[in-house]
Amino acid sequence: MATNPMHQFKVYKIGPEITLGEINLSFTNASLFMAITAILILSFLFLGTKRKALIPSKMQLIAEMSYTFVAKMINDTAGSNAKSFFPFIFTLFMFVLFANMVGMLPYSFTVTSHIIVTFVLATIVFIGVTVIGFVKHGIKYLQLFVPKGVPVVLLPLIVVIEIISYLSRPVSLSVRLFANMMAGHTMLKVFGGFVISLGLLGGWLPLGFSVALTGLEILVAFLQAYVFAILTCIYLNDALNLHH
Amino acid sequence: MKNFKDITTRLEIAKKKIKKEQIEDRSSNAAYMGNALKISTELVASVVVGSIIGFILDGWFDTKPLLTIIFFFMGVAAGILSVFRSAKKINEKL
Repeated sequence: MATNPMHQFKVYKIGPEITLGEINLSFTNASLFMAITAILILSFLFLGTKRKALIPSKMQLIAEMSYTFVAKMINDTAGSNAKSFFPFIFTLFMFVLFANMVGMLPYSFTVTSHIIVTFVLATIVFIGVTVIGFVKHGIKYLQLFVPKGVPVVLLPLIVVIEIISYLSRPVSLSVRLFANMMAGHTMLKVFGGFVISLGLLGGWLPLGFSVALTGLEILVAFLQAYVFAILTCIYLNDALNLHH
Repeated sequence: MKNFKDITTRLEIAKKKIKKEQIEDRSSNAAYMGNALKISTELVASVVVGSIIGFILDGWFDTKPLLTIIFFFMGVAAGILSVFRSAKKINEKL
């Protein structure tokens, strides 16, 4: 029995080892849970939209609500000309949300508690937004680093600061999600360990904390998916409608 | 369309039951928590990224601690700038 609270984040391979040159492509528990997440999303949306009734069933209602939620979020933060990016942001939101929620099940593995996963997601967003900005505005996109009304003497300093602030976007985006998920799950495990070690006499207090923390973690799981998606929208807005 | 009429009346009853203010309050609470998380990580990430850039440049130009220190403070400035911008955006919404 593993009492180490960090044991739950261990990645191990399932099945045979597959290597492509120097790269290890083995199927791991992380890949398994990513696949489970993707299958869950697909089946949820497939079942939700199978019978397109005028009076929706519960499943259809939830599927439609998730659509409206993301569509409204894009419209509010990135404007109407970001509508064409709906599929990407919807996928991102659903993946992060379902990965977080799957992680809340006992004995499961939280994919988003690994920084490499969140960092890759954030890097895709970062590179995508930068490319969109350059395609849409050409070299004028560099105006983003030169705020209006700054004295020429201060300009070199300000430009460097702006570039650092721009480059810190993927880092803050990924670290936020990863740190929240990892800290939450570690804390749950630590309190679970307290219940065992304090036994029947003193274990009730940490048990209560565990229940409360589980509720909090479910809120955080949703909130982090929301924040991830809304920040993508905000960055997209900067790239599409150039103004500071 | 008996079913449809039935659901309309049920919807109206349900709508009356819902306390609108309570729901609004709860959703804005979550939004505030999201903003708090967003701003706090922005501040830290800028400092880290600034320091890393300084460290890499130090390696290139062989000017160990100098550029790291300079870029650390630039990172602090960038962090404060992005926090300031986010706070301004939140203020506009209110």
